[in-house]
Amino acid sequence: MSRNSGRSNRLRRRPSRTVPALIVGSLLLAAAVALVWLAIARLIDGTWSALLQGPRDWLTALTWNSPAMWGIGITAVVVGLTLLLCAIIPGGFIALTVRNTARDSTGGEPQVKERETVMTRRAVAHLAKALCEQVDGVSSAAATATDKRVHLSVKTTLRDTGELRTRVTESVRDRLNATGLDPVPRVTTTVQFKG
Amino acid sequence: MKQTAGTLNRTWLTVLGILLLAAGIALLLQAAGVLPTRANTAPAGDKVVPGDLYPYFGVSWVVVLLMVIGLIVGVLGLMWLIAQIPRKNTADTYRLSDGAQGRTTCDPSVLAKAVENQVNNLPGVVTSSALLRGTATEPNLTLKVTVTDTADVQDLLRQLETSTLPNLSTALESPLQESRLQIDVSSRNQNTGTVVRSTGTVIQ
Repeated sequence: MSRNSGRSNRLRRRPSRTVPALIVGSLLLAAAVALVWLAIARLIDGTWSALLQGPRDWLTALTWNSPAMWGIGITAVVVGLTLLLCAIIPGGFIALTVRNTARDSTGGEPQVKERETVMTRRAVAHLAKALCEQVDGVSSAAATATDKRVHLSVKTTLRDTGELRTRVTESVRDRLNATGLDPVPRVTTTVQFKG
Repeated sequence: MKQTAGTLNRTWLTVLGILLLAAGIALLLQAAGVLPTRANTAPAGDKVVPGDLYPYFGVSWVVVLLMVIGLIVGVLGLMWLIAQIPRKNTADTYRLSDGAQGRTTCDPSVLAKAVENQVNNLPGVVTSSALLRGTATEPNLTLKVTVTDTADVQDLLRQLETSTLPNLSTALESPLQESRLQIDVSSRNQNTGTVVRSTGTVIQ
């Protein structure tokens, strides 16, 4: 979809591959600037820059089966595969879908033709952490979230950590379900005794 | 909220990846001596550049060609880098009606501000940001709402569905084509406090 089509991109999308694009784009631009600068210098001075003397000598002494050519070939294959993997591997969704039950109960003429409601992974982690800290016995908590899983790291002064883990996991899962996450991510908890 | 160049990035990364992979494999086959026997290329023990480079790169048109190639690659690289900047791509001025009696236009940012003001007053909302795209007859709303960690999200959705979206749709006299809502969670408290519904008599 064009960015100027007037339509909005889906909020629940895969990563945009901005980092590899920035790296490759910068390298292409740098190589192009160098090429143009060398070509202009050649047209003005009538001779190629002395900077090219070293690469030229190296290139004219090179044979097809030399170790340097093997190195260049292997590097090209590795970089090419890396770029392909960057493009092909989809990556996790950056947001989780939220079930919108309100739209079914409003009735009447539909005010909206297409809906999408999401919660970012960071928001889910923040919510899970806040919910976790409300559970009795939890001293402190940290949470990480992917599009399929929420992991809680809890610190407690209680010696019986097994019962607390169950309570925390169930409490957070129930609340994420009530929030409307669809599907509800798998909640896992590790409890650490803080002596 | 903002739009990124995901499709463009994937396309260019795929194209460059395939080109580099093909060049690397061809180079390795040449170095291994497979290509010389199969495709009758130069033997693997030969020099990569036979003789001097000057006859090739001393000619003016080759220099100009290199410069043009450099310019094309440079412009493409620069455009690719610029495309990484996230864009809002907000709608142009909405033309609500255009007839013999006159023309009614509306700046989408005014409507977006009205939506934000309404959403900010809903219980549990810390802040919100609305963006309108599309046209007056096919409007698209993208809304980012930051709520407190104690907010009832389903209740918020209900209020958006029963008041905010119908109000916007009524103002535009057209149903929304798309409504995209992103919910964020903050530990901050609501700035506007809790909404208190009041009753009374207006004295004029």
